[in-house]
Amino acid sequence: MEKQMIVSVMSKDRPGIIAGITGAIFRLGGDVADLNQTVLCGYLTMILSVSFEPSTTKEDVLAAISHIKTESKFEVSIKELTEGELAEAVLPPEETYILTVQGPNRGGIVHGISLFCYERNINILDLATTLEADQYTMALQLDLKNCTCSLEVLREELEKHASSSGLTIMMQHNDIFQVTNEVTLH
Amino acid sequence: MLRSDQILSTVEMIQKENLDVRTVTMGINLLDCRSDTIAKTCSNIEEKIISFAGNFVATCNEMSKKYGIPVVNKRISVTPVAMVGAGFEKNDFIEIAKTLDRAAGAVGVDILGGFSAQVEKGMTQTDREFIASIPDALAATEKVCASINIATTNKGINMDALAIMGHTVKDLAEKTADQGGFGAAKFVVFCNQPGDNPFMAGAIHGVEEAEAVLNVGVSGPGVIARALERLISNHPFPANLQFDELAEEIKQTTFRVTRCGELIGRAVSMSLGIEFGVVDLSLAPTPTVGDSVGEIFKILGVDAVGAPGSTAILAMLNDAVKKGGIFASKTVGGLSGAFIPVMEDSVLAEAVGEGSLCLEKLEAMTCVCSVGLDMVAIPGSVDADTISAIIADEMALGVINAKTTAVRLIPVPGKEAGDEVNFGGLFGASPILPIKNVGKSSRFIAWGGRMPAPVHSFKN
Repeated sequence: MEKQMIVSVMSKDRPGIIAGITGAIFRLGGDVADLNQTVLCGYLTMILSVSFEPSTTKEDVLAAISHIKTESKFEVSIKELTEGELAEAVLPPEETYILTVQGPNRGGIVHGISLFCYERNINILDLATTLEADQYTMALQLDLKNCTCSLEVLREELEKHASSSGLTIMMQHNDIFQVTNEVTLH
Repeated sequence: MLRSDQILSTVEMIQKENLDVRTVTMGINLLDCRSDTIAKTCSNIEEKIISFAGNFVATCNEMSKKYGIPVVNKRISVTPVAMVGAGFEKNDFIEIAKTLDRAAGAVGVDILGGFSAQVEKGMTQTDREFIASIPDALAATEKVCASINIATTNKGINMDALAIMGHTVKDLAEKTADQGGFGAAKFVVFCNQPGDNPFMAGAIHGVEEAEAVLNVGVSGPGVIARALERLISNHPFPANLQFDELAEEIKQTTFRVTRCGELIGRAVSMSLGIEFGVVDLSLAPTPTVGDSVGEIFKILGVDAVGAPGSTAILAMLNDAVKKGGIFASKTVGGLSGAFIPVMEDSVLAEAVGEGSLCLEKLEAMTCVCSVGLDMVAIPGSVDADTISAIIADEMALGVINAKTTAVRLIPVPGKEAGDEVNFGGLFGASPILPIKNVGKSSRFIAWGGRMPAPVHSFKN
C-alpha cells in the first residue's frame, strides 16, 4: 500500500520554489495529489498531499528537500497519514456554510470570530481575509456538522455578535455560492 | 474555496437586493377526484390536496431557513376545474371553488390557481356553466384564482368565449365593488396558456403534467436593477459602456438568480418526494420600492416609462433574462421573461399617473415580453364589449407571435381615469388608466364564432 504524507514548506518567496520542491518529490518517486500555496508579505507557505512507495520514509523526503540549493532556508514539516485519516471524507460536509465578516480594521477581529466558532464546536474549513481602505473582510468556510446549537440559534447569536462588535456578519449555505459562481449544476 | 469577491457579490445579492424565491408552486392533478355527486367530488379534492400538500409550507420554510433565502409565496395549482367537474352545473362549480379555498387554507398556502377552463376552439355545456360560475365563485372565496384560455396559435381565437369574457370581468369587479373591484384581479384571460407556470393568477396544472410537480418562480427585478447601477457607476471606462454590455450584465445576473431558485426548488422537491418541474425565471415586480421592472427602463436610458425606446428596452431585457435563465436551469418552463403588471409595480403605476404610459404603449410592449396587459385598472364605466375587444387585440398578438399573452383588467366600479385604486399588499395600487374609443367595438364583438388560426409560414 502507498504511503500518504502531508508536507508543509515555508520560505521567503522567489521564483522556482514549487519547481524545486516538486522536483525533489518526483525524484523520490512521489506523486503530488493536491497542493495549496499562498504568499503573504513576501513569504510563501505551501502544503502538499503526496503519495510515496511504502519504503520511502519521512527522513528521505526531508533529506531530498534539504538538498535543494536555495538562498533562504526552507522550513519543512512532514506528517504521515494513518489509515484512519485516509478513510476520512475529503468533500465538504453538507452542513458547510460561508460566513462573511466585514468592518473597519482593528485588532482582535479574527480572534473574536474564531473564538465564537470554537465555543460552539464549529470547525473552520477555510479562511481568507483582505484589508482594503481600512475595511477588513473575512470569508470563512464553516462546518456546522458538530455545532452545539441549532441553525436558528446560531443565526441569532451571530446577529448579537454583529451588533456588539460593530461588524457586518452574514452566514449563507455553501451551496448558494457554488451554484451562483460555478457553471456545473450539482 | 471560492474567491472572496465572488462570495461578497453573492452576499450583496441576497442581502441588499431583495433576492428571493418568489414562489414555489405545487401542481396537483385532480382528474381522479371526479365522483358521481358534487359532495363526494369535493371531499375527494380536499383529501387529495391535503395529502399532497400537507407538509408543503413547512418544508418550504425549512429550506428557506437552511439556505437563508426567503420563499415569499407557497402556492398550489390544480388541473383546470372545468375538466375536473365535467357535467356539473354552475352552483356545483361554486361548491368546488369553496372546497379549493378551504383546502388551500388547511395546508396554509397563500393562493391556489386552476379554477380554469381551456376553450380556445369551442365550449362545452360544462365550460359555459363553469364560466358562468366564476364571478360568484371568486366573490365567495379568498385564495382561489381563475383563468380561461380562449386562444392559441394553433387554433385561433374563440370569439364566442371572448364575448363572454368582457361580462365576466365586469361582473367580477361589480360583485367585489366594496373592495374596488378586487375580484377581477384574480382572473386572467390567456392566449397560449402554459401548463407549468408557477405565477398567479394564471397558474394551472396542465393535463400534460405528472400527478404532482413542483414549479419554482424566481424573480428579482431589484437584483437586476442594482447590478446595472453598479456596472454603470463603477465602469472603468464609462464612455465605452454600450448596450450589449448592459445586456450581458442582465444575462449573468439572471443566471445567478435562477441558480438560487433551482437549488431551493430541488431541495423542497427532494424533501417532499415530489417531482421537480421547472424554474420560471420571470422579472415579476412587487410594489416594494426597489423591486420594480419600471425602474430598469429608467436605468437603461428612458426618462419616463412609455417614452419612445421603451419597447426596445423591454425586448432586450426579456431576451437577456431568457438567455441567462435557460443556461442556468436544467428545466426551464412557464413564462420566463419580464412582467409589466401595472398595479404591482410602483414605477409603472407612477408612469400611468404622469400620463407617460398609455394602454396603446402597454399593448406594444406586450409584443416583446411575457404575458400582457396585467393588473391594469381602468374606469368602471368601460362597457363589457370594449373590455372584450381589448382582450381580442391582446389575444391576436399572442396568436400571431406564437407567444403567451394574457389580460387582467380591473374595471374599478365608480372610479374614472385619474382616480386611484389601492388593493394593498402584493397587488399594489395605481391611478386608473384612461381608455380611448370606449363603446366603439360592439359590432366586432357581436360576430361570435372563431378567428381562424394563422398561417405559420410567410412570416413578414
